[in-house]
Amino acid sequence: MTNINPPAETAGAAPDTPAGTTGVSPAPRRPGSGGWRSLVPRWSPKLGIGLGLVGAIALFGILGPLLTGDPDTIRNISMTPPGGEFWLGTTQTGQDVLALLAHSTRGSLQIGLLVGVLATLLSAVFGVIGGYAGGAVDEGFSLFSNVMLVIPGLPLVIVIAGFVPAEQRGWWTIAVVLAITGWAASARVLRAQTLSLRNRDYVAAAKVAGEKPWRIVSVEILPNLLPLMASQFVFAVILAILSEAGLSFLGLGASGSDTLGTMLYYAQNGFALQREAWWWFGPPGLIIALFGCGLSLINFSIDEIINPKLRTVPAASRRTRGGGSAGGRKTRTAAARSVTGREDSGRDAVLTVENLNVAYRGEKPTHAVKDVSLTLGRGEILGLAGESGCGKTTLAYAINRLHRPPAEVTSGSVVFHDRDGSDLDLLALGKEELRAFRWSKLSMVFQGAMNALNPVISIRAQLEDVLTTHRPGMSAQARRERCAEVLRLVGVDPRRLDSFPHELSGGMRQRVMIAMALLLDPQVMIMDEPTTALDVVVQRGILREILRFRDELGFAVVFITHDLPLLLELSDRIAVMRDGEVVEYATADEIHHDPKHPYTRRLLDSFPSLTGERGAFIRTGESSARERTGTGTGTGTETIVKEAGSR
Amino acid sequence: MTTLEVRGLTKDFSIRSGLRHSRFRAVDNVSFTLAPGRTVALVGESGSGKSTVARMIARLEKPTAGGITATGPDGRRVADRAYRDHVQMVFQDPFASLNPFHTVEHHLARPLKLHGRARGKAEVAQKVEQLLERVNLTPAADIAQRRPHELSGGMRQRVAIARALAPGAQVVIADEPVSMLDVSIRLGVLNLLARLQREDDLAVLYITHDLATARHFSDDILVMYRGRVVERGPADEVILNPRHPYTRILAAAAPNPDARDRARLTEALGIEPAGGSTLPGDDPGCTFRDRCPMAFEACTRMPEDFEVGYDHYAKCWLRPGADSADRAGRPAAEGTATA
Repeated sequence: MTNINPPAETAGAAPDTPAGTTGVSPAPRRPGSGGWRSLVPRWSPKLGIGLGLVGAIALFGILGPLLTGDPDTIRNISMTPPGGEFWLGTTQTGQDVLALLAHSTRGSLQIGLLVGVLATLLSAVFGVIGGYAGGAVDEGFSLFSNVMLVIPGLPLVIVIAGFVPAEQRGWWTIAVVLAITGWAASARVLRAQTLSLRNRDYVAAAKVAGEKPWRIVSVEILPNLLPLMASQFVFAVILAILSEAGLSFLGLGASGSDTLGTMLYYAQNGFALQREAWWWFGPPGLIIALFGCGLSLINFSIDEIINPKLRTVPAASRRTRGGGSAGGRKTRTAAARSVTGREDSGRDAVLTVENLNVAYRGEKPTHAVKDVSLTLGRGEILGLAGESGCGKTTLAYAINRLHRPPAEVTSGSVVFHDRDGSDLDLLALGKEELRAFRWSKLSMVFQGAMNALNPVISIRAQLEDVLTTHRPGMSAQARRERCAEVLRLVGVDPRRLDSFPHELSGGMRQRVMIAMALLLDPQVMIMDEPTTALDVVVQRGILREILRFRDELGFAVVFITHDLPLLLELSDRIAVMRDGEVVEYATADEIHHDPKHPYTRRLLDSFPSLTGERGAFIRTGESSARERTGTGTGTGTETIVKEAGSR
Repeated sequence: MTTLEVRGLTKDFSIRSGLRHSRFRAVDNVSFTLAPGRTVALVGESGSGKSTVARMIARLEKPTAGGITATGPDGRRVADRAYRDHVQMVFQDPFASLNPFHTVEHHLARPLKLHGRARGKAEVAQKVEQLLERVNLTPAADIAQRRPHELSGGMRQRVAIARALAPGAQVVIADEPVSMLDVSIRLGVLNLLARLQREDDLAVLYITHDLATARHFSDDILVMYRGRVVERGPADEVILNPRHPYTRILAAAAPNPDARDRARLTEALGIEPAGGSTLPGDDPGCTFRDRCPMAFEACTRMPEDFEVGYDHYAKCWLRPGADSADRAGRPAAEGTATA
């Protein structure tokens, strides 16, 4: 949960997804997800080293025993150091350490593999079936796995292993014992994941289609669990090899078969350590360590499939703003400002954005904001309209310097004209200056901000936190009064100050977020889809408040949304964005009555009028808006359908 | 030609918080009929119970009380086993309703095979292509091999619509089918649904919170509030001449650039904007009265459906011709909300 506790943590709230503007972004949510391809880990040095280690050791375990002699041959050359005929020397009884090592590696791998398979199967049966079936089955299965989980593993293994007579204790007995004690934790993880997958719409859709439960589990749910199961399998293998080594070392291991553990056990019994015969205990120890290390590295890569956020973004080049001479720009823009210090409508400008370009660097560089120039007048409401991925959120973040790598401002300027007449080049501000600037002069209400309140801290504490950070000199009494004042402003009863976020409705929480943005009496407020998650009645109430503060407090608002009709009602001027460009920038009246750009017209046409001619849009496919403005871009249905189809 | 009749549909969810056990009535006594070739819109804010109605009709939830009956073209009740041949659903989120692991073909081929609409590889492949062409996804052969993440939101929703049609369903429940899509493609998807409805004479339940598309896309509108249908009637009647205070507020709150008028924004709607109900769960009265600007004493009793126009009903005591005793406590402010 991101906790936005402005201003200290606002920087941490930069968009996670490049070009992600709304929650309905059509960009794939999990890039590269889908099908078998998604199950293949992305290539990385970690994965390469891991596969290399595991592959080499597995190859040694498979081919080694064929190439080396019988490990049990006893010779009368005891404890020879490596060299000559015996590459890794001999043991106390003259056995070839290399041959012993090859056979032991094979034995350990066998156990690891068997335990991995058994534990994964057991956890899948108990976790997935329990999770999907729910009810009594789930309760029973979870109870069972919980019991298995709290039974201390190693002692149980020792007891079971000790119970089976030594002569019957083959490697598979040990494997079964290890599997039985090792599956429970992964069953719980799989159950949790299944519980979440079970409620996905595609599972519901399969049910509605009439699929049988076993098919839903095996065809719809299981493939999506595979990366998780693979990771659990790898983990079970590591654990099994280590536990087996431990058991054997204690003398409870498999009898009559060679494993790395028994090899260490015999080395211990042969006083290898005391006699400094490092070639006897060193290699098996090293193989265990390297194999575990290799599997862990593979597991990291599998984790990245499960959680794409772990992927390390290649560090963007730090040459943030071209030329780097921020000072030079400052003078340039300051000069420019002195000429055009007022915007067209006669208001003093409070924020000027000139030819701003923002790009996302990375594998596929995207130019998210292209040459955008906007002027925000004091007390103006500027609407920023556009669909998901058009760059409107990126623009807002860049204005406030909240963008994070790989996003980067490549050129342009953002100048803030303070109330006292001084100009601030936002792109040239240092870290401290920026921190002081944000929230006190320009605040932001984020998309879905109502979920950004910290659930365990009272509203009062969260509001006062902003004041203590930005106005350290303020007395506690003054702070309390200011908090109550802003809450009253947004129409929330100040008695709610001591409430916790979950005690408030969505609309109230959103109001609290707006109150927080108002706390420091900013001159500009950027609101990114502040009402998208709310229903219309609540939305209307919040819009009313925004207009009222604008009139009372005289600040300027940048209102970002895809809802053009809303902007037509609310804003003074509207900038319509598409693919990073402002395609039309005009007053709301002009956009409404005389839209110039075809895309603006298309957006307008996308909203049927509530009270206008009935059915003009849907049933006949004729758009009244299109007719009115007399554009010949084709008739209704077919055009829209074609355009949408080709997206 | 299948008709779906919903009678007295009720759904209780039990809420467990600690040791306390309480029941929450998500849907209360909802009745309506879906007829071939007609669209009924179910409108309401989030949490009003409209999606629960959809899930009960799609048999994803069991109703606590009430019945859902599908009547086949032969005039007989559709057997439980065949129910899903007749009734299908389009989900809200096309990003979640398609399995990321499977191809488009899988999503369409499975229902075709399950409902015996196609046998054999060639026939299935051919039917899949036909379905994709019907929803304007061409080249069909290419689209069929793609996986959901290779498609845009609009394309995914088209696949989801094709999947609903695959079993040959005559009743389609569309649960907010366009609310997750980009605005410029919403109408395209709605138009597609309308065309398919005309071609196949489908009965459609269109669930939405958007009054404007509800009005243009449907024949009848039901307005839900906290589990109850508070107003029902022909689409134009309900939107242009709303009789229940809640519908009036909804209609007044919808953005409407044609009535661009700052006064509208600053004018108080006269309701408590907070969402949570302040009424106890077992309150016998009107569920809207804690937010209603026109509430008076009579509202402590539950109003029945009063006919307020031709085929137009509202669950509100403020009805034309109500006796003066009922209207005594009402503020003389009827006009403010109609404006």
